[in-house]
Amino acid sequence: MKKIIERLTNGIIVENPTFVQVIGMCPTLAVTTGAENGIGMGLATTAVLVGSNLFISLLRKFIPSKIRIPAYVVIIASLVTLIEFTLKAYVPGLYSQLGLFIPLIVVNCIILARAEAYASKNKLLPSIMDGLGMGLGFTLALTTIGAVREILGAGKIFGVQVLPSSYQPALIMILAPGAFFTLGILMAILNHVRSKKMKKA
Amino acid sequence: MKEILKLGFILFLITAVSAGLLGFANEMTKEPIAKQVQQTKEEAMKQTLPEADKYEGVEVDLPEESSILEVNAGYKGDTLEGFAVKVAPKGFGGAIEIMVGVSKDGILQGVKILSHSETPGLGANAESPAFTSQYEGKSGQLKVVKTTPGAEDEIQAITGATITSKAVTTGINEVLNLIEHRVDTDNNEIIFDFN
Repeated sequence: MKKIIERLTNGIIVENPTFVQVIGMCPTLAVTTGAENGIGMGLATTAVLVGSNLFISLLRKFIPSKIRIPAYVVIIASLVTLIEFTLKAYVPGLYSQLGLFIPLIVVNCIILARAEAYASKNKLLPSIMDGLGMGLGFTLALTTIGAVREILGAGKIFGVQVLPSSYQPALIMILAPGAFFTLGILMAILNHVRSKKMKKA
Repeated sequence: MKEILKLGFILFLITAVSAGLLGFANEMTKEPIAKQVQQTKEEAMKQTLPEADKYEGVEVDLPEESSILEVNAGYKGDTLEGFAVKVAPKGFGGAIEIMVGVSKDGILQGVKILSHSETPGLGANAESPAFTSQYEGKSGQLKVVKTTPGAEDEIQAITGATITSKAVTTGINEVLNLIEHRVDTDNNEIIFDFN
């Protein structure tokens, strides 16, 4: 039980993939034009992450270390394709929302990184929890970036107008440069908070 | 040598199992996916041409440069109500697929963006009803303006996405032109004339 909670907080806070490990930057920068996109991409990635950690942990004794990377890539890509087929066939509403992001998940290095760094060396349950924690950490980061960009760039959050209509939206925030601004500033704030805590301790 | 064979065999095993699974999943989902695609299309036709209750594809020999993909005739009972036309003009980020509903006398009934790859937050706003509802009730040939539209044939561009707005309007104009000038709908019969 302790291990489970430890894995979750590790993924969400201590080793947050976006703000601490700074991996998976491509989807982070590309899809966070709104809070809703952030949640969608985050949850889709979480599903794949849990699945790939599960299979890789199960097969960790079977896959020789010399060919582990191609084996992981095959497993991850197959899993993503399976999810894509299933969504397309049975949950078309969700697919039309996420369709754009699903192929992007294959190349998300968080998934390969967790397979390599954790699932290939650990037992089944901790590996699943590790995937869940990392996925939720990624979701949280993407949603935060998306929300900031949406508020400043469109005056909305989750598609609902929050700023008065007299506010002139800063279009740059929903364009590519806005992604870099937001990520940089959020990271600076988090680092500042962390270094203050370290000094106190 | 022995090790290479062993590694190759294990990798082969993993890829073979994956390929088998994917093939099986593809076979299983083929039919539901085709059904979903058909259903989505039917819903789009219903939304853009609500008057009709039955839709039939019409064979049209379109000119090479046309961006019109397919023409469906919409009937209410046996009476021809209008057309639901799928058109794909080139936008900022690629083709924009639009379903356009036009009554048989050339008046726009509804416009729905089916798929696009426009910039999120800018061109992607073309999907919003605030933009597409501007087209309803219009006819003739339309043009895009950047200010509040004054004339009947003007469409207000989406802020920061003039190219997308123009692309959508170009596609719709092509459909309007087709229905108004190239189709003869007398006596419930559809005759296309490109001469």
